[in-house]
Amino acid sequence: MYSDNPRKFIGGVHPDDGKALSCEKPIRIAPLLEKYIVPIPQNIGKPPKVIVNKGDLVKKGQLIAEADGFVSVPLHAPTSGTVGETVLIPGAVGTMIPAVEIISDGQDEWGSALEPIPDWKNTDREILKKRIFDAGIIGMGGAAFPSHVKLSPPPEKVIDTLILNGAECEPYLTADHRLMLEHPNDVLEGAAIAAKILKVNRVFVGIEENKQNAIDAMKEIAGKYGIKIVPLRVRYPQGAEKQLIMAITGRHVVAGGLPMDVGCVVQNVGTCAAIRAAVVEGHPLIERMTTITGSPVKDPCTWQLRIGTPVAEALKMAGGVIAPAAKLILGGPMMGFAQATLDGAVAKNSSGILLLQAEETGQYTSNPCIRCGRCVDACPMRLLPGPISVLVESEKYDQAEQAFVMDCVECGACSYVCPANRPLIQHFRRAKAEINALRRAGKK
Amino acid sequence: MPSNEWLLITVGAILVNNVVLSRILGICPFLGVSKRLKTALGMSGAVVFVMTIASFVTAVLYQLLLKTELTIAGRTVDLSFTRILLFIVVIASLVQIVEILLKKFSPKLYAALGIYLPLITTNCAVLGAAELNAKVGRGIIESTVFGCATGIGFGLALLLFASLRERLELAKVPKAFQGTAIALITAGILAMAFMGFSGLVK
Amino acid sequence: MLEIILISAGVVAVLGLILGLLIAITAKKFEVETDPRIEEVQELLPGANCGACGYAGCADMANAIVTKGVAPSTCPVTNEEKQAEIAKVLGQEVGEAKEKMVAVVFCGGSISRAGRNAQYNGVMDCRSASIVANGGGKACRYGCLGFGSCARACPFGAIEMRDGLAVVHPELCRGCGKCLGICPRKLIRLVPAKAKVHVYCNSLDKPQQKRKYCSVTCLTCRKCVKAAPDSMNVQDQLIRVIYSNPPDPSFVEGVKCPTGALQTEESHRCLVPKAAADGKEK
Repeated sequence: MYSDNPRKFIGGVHPDDGKALSCEKPIRIAPLLEKYIVPIPQNIGKPPKVIVNKGDLVKKGQLIAEADGFVSVPLHAPTSGTVGETVLIPGAVGTMIPAVEIISDGQDEWGSALEPIPDWKNTDREILKKRIFDAGIIGMGGAAFPSHVKLSPPPEKVIDTLILNGAECEPYLTADHRLMLEHPNDVLEGAAIAAKILKVNRVFVGIEENKQNAIDAMKEIAGKYGIKIVPLRVRYPQGAEKQLIMAITGRHVVAGGLPMDVGCVVQNVGTCAAIRAAVVEGHPLIERMTTITGSPVKDPCTWQLRIGTPVAEALKMAGGVIAPAAKLILGGPMMGFAQATLDGAVAKNSSGILLLQAEETGQYTSNPCIRCGRCVDACPMRLLPGPISVLVESEKYDQAEQAFVMDCVECGACSYVCPANRPLIQHFRRAKAEINALRRAGKK
Repeated sequence: MPSNEWLLITVGAILVNNVVLSRILGICPFLGVSKRLKTALGMSGAVVFVMTIASFVTAVLYQLLLKTELTIAGRTVDLSFTRILLFIVVIASLVQIVEILLKKFSPKLYAALGIYLPLITTNCAVLGAAELNAKVGRGIIESTVFGCATGIGFGLALLLFASLRERLELAKVPKAFQGTAIALITAGILAMAFMGFSGLVK
Repeated sequence: MLEIILISAGVVAVLGLILGLLIAITAKKFEVETDPRIEEVQELLPGANCGACGYAGCADMANAIVTKGVAPSTCPVTNEEKQAEIAKVLGQEVGEAKEKMVAVVFCGGSISRAGRNAQYNGVMDCRSASIVANGGGKACRYGCLGFGSCARACPFGAIEMRDGLAVVHPELCRGCGKCLGICPRKLIRLVPAKAKVHVYCNSLDKPQQKRKYCSVTCLTCRKCVKAAPDSMNVQDQLIRVIYSNPPDPSFVEGVKCPTGALQTEESHRCLVPKAAADGKEK
């Protein structure tokens, strides 16, 4: 089943992937709900400014919040209806964030201001880039970084490679898998548009080998766009930018560097599909593929959900909860965020809604490091997680910084393998936040 | 073969009969100034300096004044029994002078060494080096070499120990062992490690 | 026999004299001008090296007091007696003594009284919980997290963790303010020590929301404000004591706060059970 020599990176782990729950089931399109709650801050950077008031009538795809600055993207109404209250809902990381309610009128009538550009091959690059910005597209793999910024590298950086991230190395999630399998053309045409904007000829799609049917489906039409499909070894975190670049091009992004330093731009396959929808059909980003899964969910499946779908409603769609769930996670089990309530809503980067039972989640106490070195083997960034965590525990942030804690990608591979159950990732997140705060204080 | 002799003295004093870890002399500054590598470095420098000079001066004193049979007022007397008394006086004065000079020329080092510089005054390691020289009957140059090597040995032990203690600070130590207790255990293990050098030099 | 004793004594005396002279000469020649008062002042400072004065430890502070004329009251830890002694060393009048301040943790939500909406299983440290998990399990987003980072930071051991709540012992607190910066929720504040009544709540949520997750929250019913309008005022969703004119401890009994957020420092401490300390959630 697997090829002899798949592309790989150094380190990583292979957790039980749990994808069998949902990977065989076709994508279902979510029914129209009565109410959507659209979170306002969704992208990295500045949140957009809301331009509608309570009681306004909006059409599906109409602008409801406009971008505030370069690293910011607009937001659009998920359906037609009335603007409701602005409420506070728990965001993915747990802080309360403002969100706009949209009460559906049941008509679901399009009112997008974006004109379709079917002939994108003969369209100016700047127009295409402007369209991606106007459609409010951000990195849909989870990073939520505005795509138009990624597609605008500074002129001194020479970009020669576009890599599509179809690795989907997170356990349980099958959103990208189903998307590539069912809509390969959407993904590849979007990639071709992104390649045109970046003026690159080398385009790769990295797909983990456990998605053979998706690899086949993509390969069938990839030749049409001159895109190469690269099977990758099944290894977490294969889908992390730097690891993906390492596996596909063999280029190494140095500490503190960005993919563009080695001439690469990485886009998620979902982002590419959104780019195509924005350019060819003139649809802003109001829908995404989200896997609703986990053993307590009655009917785990990948759904095409509107942005702003309340988490509780999404779970209802999937047939509800049939077993006592202990943990709700937005995103995958490795990188996702545990939620305290069901009050959250699907955002542009919500790749999954995962429920876990008590016995599937670990309730451990942290023990002292036994220096076994398994975290060092697992770290894809070649850091020393154990010693760094000890430094963080005693609040020696300067030493932790010297040990390159800032290069941690928070993939969680070290915490996963640690036999002492040390909360390594928590330590690193704390260290990064504290060091960033110190740096900001130092600048001021 | 004086150079060979010196090498033996040096290696013997630094590794085999390390003043702290083998002879268990000078434990006070060893435990007191070993919390930070930086201060340990300063202290090591001070000890090497003081020990070299002290060994030289005491050797001169011993060879010229105490060892030789003096004839004073027509009587021949052997004053070598007063050596410990005189060594202490000489070393104490010497450290006083070093302290004054240090205060003048390197106030930062002076502040870093703090209370431990006057402690060198009564540091048994310095006296021990001088006393050992006298006991073995080394000449002036050999004594100076021995003093310097002993100081380096002290510095080596101190620096090793300080590095260990810096690492130790990160470790979770059971409450009963925190502080000096774990430091002493570490010192004991370090001393055991140094026992491995025994037999290197006869 | 006697001669040997005399001769050896003479030799030691002569040597001692020579060395003594040598030291005297060096001391004179390389003398460094230092103010002996610095040492005296340092003796009088508390020696905790807490850094609350803004200087690197007590030695630095002593230096600053003598050479730069910094007021001894800059040290928040010394008492007035010691300040007067320092002033005497310097030959000055005592500066205007700073009012004694103590830290107060404005939260009454111990584990048994504050509702929780999640189980936190991460690092048992307030800052870590705040950064990584937005504060751990307690439902209130303003209250004490209960992992005891402030208690560990206090150089005087004045903060005790009781039932997942940090409680300050004012008699031990010297008002150095070290805990203020540690608390990620910023709910520790310095208040004049003479004020004995506080509103132990920091939640800025609306009263109907607060009521859901905490039994000892301030619901801004204004009962206390009506009873003593000069001493209490409403700020946002909270009632605060006006610390320039704090009410009498007996005031608490008279008002009968419906939730018990208004407490005297002493009754607040008594209400929180001492057991289940350590800041660990069950």
